[in-house]
Amino acid sequence: MGGLHGVSTRRAAVTLAAGSGGRAFGIKCKCIVMADAGKASKQNQSKTFQCKNLHDYLKTLPASTLDRLYNHPTTCLAVYRELPEIGRHYVIRILFVEQPVPQAVVASWLSQENSKEHNEVTKVLKELQVWQEAPIPGGLPGWILNPIFKKNCRMALLGGGRANCIQSQLDADSKPRDIPFLDQYATERWECVLHYMVGSQQQEGISADAVRLLLHARLMKRDEEDGSPVITREGFQFLLMDTAQQVWHFILQYLDTVQEHNLDLVECLTFLFQLSFSTLGKDYSTQGMSEAMLKFLQHLREFGLVYQRKRKGGRFYPTRLALNIAAGQTSAPGDIERVGYIVVETNYRVYAYTDSNLQVALVALFCEMMYRFPNLAVGILTRDSVRQALRSGITAEQMINFLRLHAHPRMVANGPPVLPPTVVDQIKLWENERDRFNFSEGVLYSQFLSQQDFQVLRDHAQDQGVLIWQNERQRTMVVTKGGHDDVKRFWKRYNRGND
Amino acid sequence: MVNVVKGVLVECDQAMKQFLLHLDETMALGCRFIIQNLDETHLFISADILTTLQSRIDDLMDQVSFPLVEKDS
Amino acid sequence: MAEEVETSLMVIVVDLHTRQRYLRQQPSQLVHVLDSIMTLANMHLMLKTKNKVAIVACNAARSDFIYCDSDAIQPQPIQGQSGNTVQKQSDGQYEVFAHLETMVKQNTRKFTLDEKSTFFDDRDGESLIAGALTLAMCYINRINREKPTGEKLNSRLLIVTGCAGGASQHMAYMNVFFTAQKQNIVLDVCSLDYELGLLQQGCDITGGLFLKIPQLQGLLQYLLWVFLPEPPIRKKLVLPPPARVDYRAACFCHRNLIDIGFVCSICLSIFCKFSPICTTCNTVFKPPTSLVPKKKKKPNKGVC
Repeated sequence: MGGLHGVSTRRAAVTLAAGSGGRAFGIKCKCIVMADAGKASKQNQSKTFQCKNLHDYLKTLPASTLDRLYNHPTTCLAVYRELPEIGRHYVIRILFVEQPVPQAVVASWLSQENSKEHNEVTKVLKELQVWQEAPIPGGLPGWILNPIFKKNCRMALLGGGRANCIQSQLDADSKPRDIPFLDQYATERWECVLHYMVGSQQQEGISADAVRLLLHARLMKRDEEDGSPVITREGFQFLLMDTAQQVWHFILQYLDTVQEHNLDLVECLTFLFQLSFSTLGKDYSTQGMSEAMLKFLQHLREFGLVYQRKRKGGRFYPTRLALNIAAGQTSAPGDIERVGYIVVETNYRVYAYTDSNLQVALVALFCEMMYRFPNLAVGILTRDSVRQALRSGITAEQMINFLRLHAHPRMVANGPPVLPPTVVDQIKLWENERDRFNFSEGVLYSQFLSQQDFQVLRDHAQDQGVLIWQNERQRTMVVTKGGHDDVKRFWKRYNRGND
Repeated sequence: MVNVVKGVLVECDQAMKQFLLHLDETMALGCRFIIQNLDETHLFISADILTTLQSRIDDLMDQVSFPLVEKDS
Repeated sequence: MAEEVETSLMVIVVDLHTRQRYLRQQPSQLVHVLDSIMTLANMHLMLKTKNKVAIVACNAARSDFIYCDSDAIQPQPIQGQSGNTVQKQSDGQYEVFAHLETMVKQNTRKFTLDEKSTFFDDRDGESLIAGALTLAMCYINRINREKPTGEKLNSRLLIVTGCAGGASQHMAYMNVFFTAQKQNIVLDVCSLDYELGLLQQGCDITGGLFLKIPQLQGLLQYLLWVFLPEPPIRKKLVLPPPARVDYRAACFCHRNLIDIGFVCSICLSIFCKFSPICTTCNTVFKPPTSLVPKKKKKPNKGVC
C-alpha cells in the first residue's frame, strides 16, 4: 500500500493520504484551485468548459483551408458524418446533380412544420462550405454543392482518384498485433497523460512536448511558486469527460500548435481523418509519408493513437483512440474500451471496482472516500464533497455524466435509469443551492422627478446595454458599475439641454 | 433631481429574499444593509457587506441541510 | 451523451430471378441494378459510423446472404479463409466501401453459378422472396441479441424485385409481415416492374413504403430519395403518399383475389368455392345448406 501514498501534495490535486484509526484507507480530495476559486470565480461560475466539436472547429477555419481539406475523400466523409441528419440527406439528394437546385425546391423536401430545422441545416451546410449559393437560369436563388466536396465525396463512395497517403502493408507482419493488445496499449498510453495530470506517481513516460501541450491547453498551469505544472479548473472538467472527447479536445489543442512544429495544419488534419477511417487491427505502411508526417506520427504514438513496435519499423497500427476521432463526437461512448466499474446506491454510497489509482482519484474528485481494498474503493457522496467539487469548477452535469459513463454493467442492465434518480436529483440540487443568489455590482438611480426623465435615461442605458434592472412605476433603475460613468455624462448633457 | 447610490443588485428567489429582509430587520450583521427593496426577487444592498453576507448564507445552508447518510465513525 | 446510441441495420433482399423482365430484355442491366444497390448500401454505411448492412439474394431455387457481418472487413487473414482481408487500396475509395463491393460481386457470382441455382430451372417457380425475408429476420434477431446493452437498433428490410405475383407463398408472406410488425421491423419494397398487391399489404402493415419505379435508369436516385432515410427521419421529409392498399386476400385454391369467400373454421384458409375437405388442414366440412342466414327467433322479452 505504501506506493499509493507517494504523491506530493504540492503539484497533486488529488491526495491519497493514509487513513487514521481503524479505516482501511482514507482518500481526501484536496484541490489547489480552491484557493483562487473564492469570490472571483463566482462571476464566471456559469462558464463551463466547452469542448468544441468538429463542426465548431471547422467553422473557425478560413474557406481556403476548408477547400484544401475537402481535397481528400476521407475529410469529406468525416465532415459529412458530422452534418445534421437532414443535412446528410440533402447532400445525398444533390450529390449526383450537376446544375444548381432551386432553394425553394430544397425547402419543399421537408414538411412545413419542420421549416425551422430546414433553416438550421442550410445554415450549417453554408458555414462549412459544403454548398454554395448559385443563381439558376430563371434568376431564382439555388444551391450547388461545393465542386471540390462533391468530387471527393463521390470518390470516397464510388472510387477513383488517387490513393490515400496511408497505404496498407503488402507483406504480413511477422508479429501481428491483435485488437485487445492495441486497446490495452492505447488505454495505457492515454492514462499515462491523465495520471500525469492528477499527479499520481506515474509521471514518467510523458515528454516535454506533451507537458507543453497540457500547459497550452490550459489544462495545467505553472505553479506560481516553483513553476511546476498544476492542474486547473479546466483540467478537472477534462478528467471527467469520456475518452473520445478527451482525445478530441487534446488533438484540437495540438492542432493549434502544429505551426510551431513546422507542420502543415491541412496535412495533419487529413492524416488524422485518414487514420480515423482506417481498420482497427490492421497494419499500415509508413512508406511515402513525408518527413513532417513521420514526425506527426511520432507525436500520435506518444498519446497512444497509433502503435509502432519500432520507430523505424516502417509500419504502424492505428488504435481505437484514433478511430474515434471523427466518430467520437456524435456517437458518444464509441466502442466499449473498458467496462464500467462504478456502482451507485440510493444511500449515496459509491463503489468503484478498480485497482487503478487514476480511477479512484477521479471518483475522489467528488466523493468522500471511505475504504480501499485491493480491487474496490468505497466512497460516499456528501454535500460537502460535492460542493467542494463544484467549487473547483466541476459541474453537476459532469459528475452525473461521469458516473453514468462508467456505471457497472449490472447497473446498466438494471436501468434505465442507470443511476438512482434520487442521487442524480440531489447532486443537481446541491448545485442549484449555490446558484440561489446572483450578485451584480451596480448603481441605483431613483427618485426621478418626471416620468419622461426616467424614460429617456432608461432608454439610453438600454441602448448602451448597461441596464440590469428597471421599474417604470417606481421610476427606479440599476445600471452596471462600468456603465455608470457613461450614463452620468449622458444625464448631465440631457439636463443641460433641458435647461 | 435624481438620487444615485452605488451598491450591489441581488437577484434571488422569494424565500431567500425573506431571509435577507430578516437579517436586515434584526441587524444580525451589525447594521442594516438593504438600500432598497426593488421587487419580489430583487434587492439593492450595500457593497461592503457582501462578503459577510455570503458567509452568513453559507452558514444558513449548512444549518438547514441535513446529513443524508450516517457515516460510520 | 446521455442519449441512446442509435444504430440502424438495413437488410436488402435482391431478387436475382432470371425471369424478371428487365433481365430477359437486357441481361447486362443486372450490373446496373447491383451497382445501385451496392451504392445504396454504402450510402447507408456512410450516414453513421455504426450503421450496419446485409444483403440477401434469392431466386427460384434458394436464398442466401451475399453480404453480412461475417463478410465484413477483417484486419488479418483468418486461417483457411482468404478474400476477407482488405486488398491494397488503389484509389480514393473508403476501404470499407471498396471491400463491400468486392465481396458482393464475388458472392453474387458464387450464388448465380451455384449448382443448385443452375440445376433448378427458373421457369418452374417464383422467386423465394418470403424465404429470403425469413432469413433476413433471423439475422436481424441475432444482431439484436448480440448488441451491447444500452444500444438501440433500428432494423428494416428492403426488397428490390422485378417479379410479379407471389401468391403461392401467401402464407409465408403473411407470417413474415406480422412477425416483422411485432418486432418493429419496417418493410420497404422497391418494385422494378409490377404493382405487387401482397407486398403492398406488407409495407402497410409494418409502416414501410412501397414504390414502383417508373423507369429503371433512375433506380439509384429513387433508392436514395425514398428508401435511404430512416423511418424516424421520414416523418420530416416529404415522400410519395402511400397508395390505397388492396387488402383482398388470394384464395388458396386458384390464387384469385376475392372479396367474399369461404374460410376454414380450423386453420383460416380462404377458398373461393366451397370444398368439402380443407386442402390445408384436411378438416371435413358439411355441405352448406344456404348462404342466406336463417331468420333469427324473436328474442324473448323479459327474460334476461
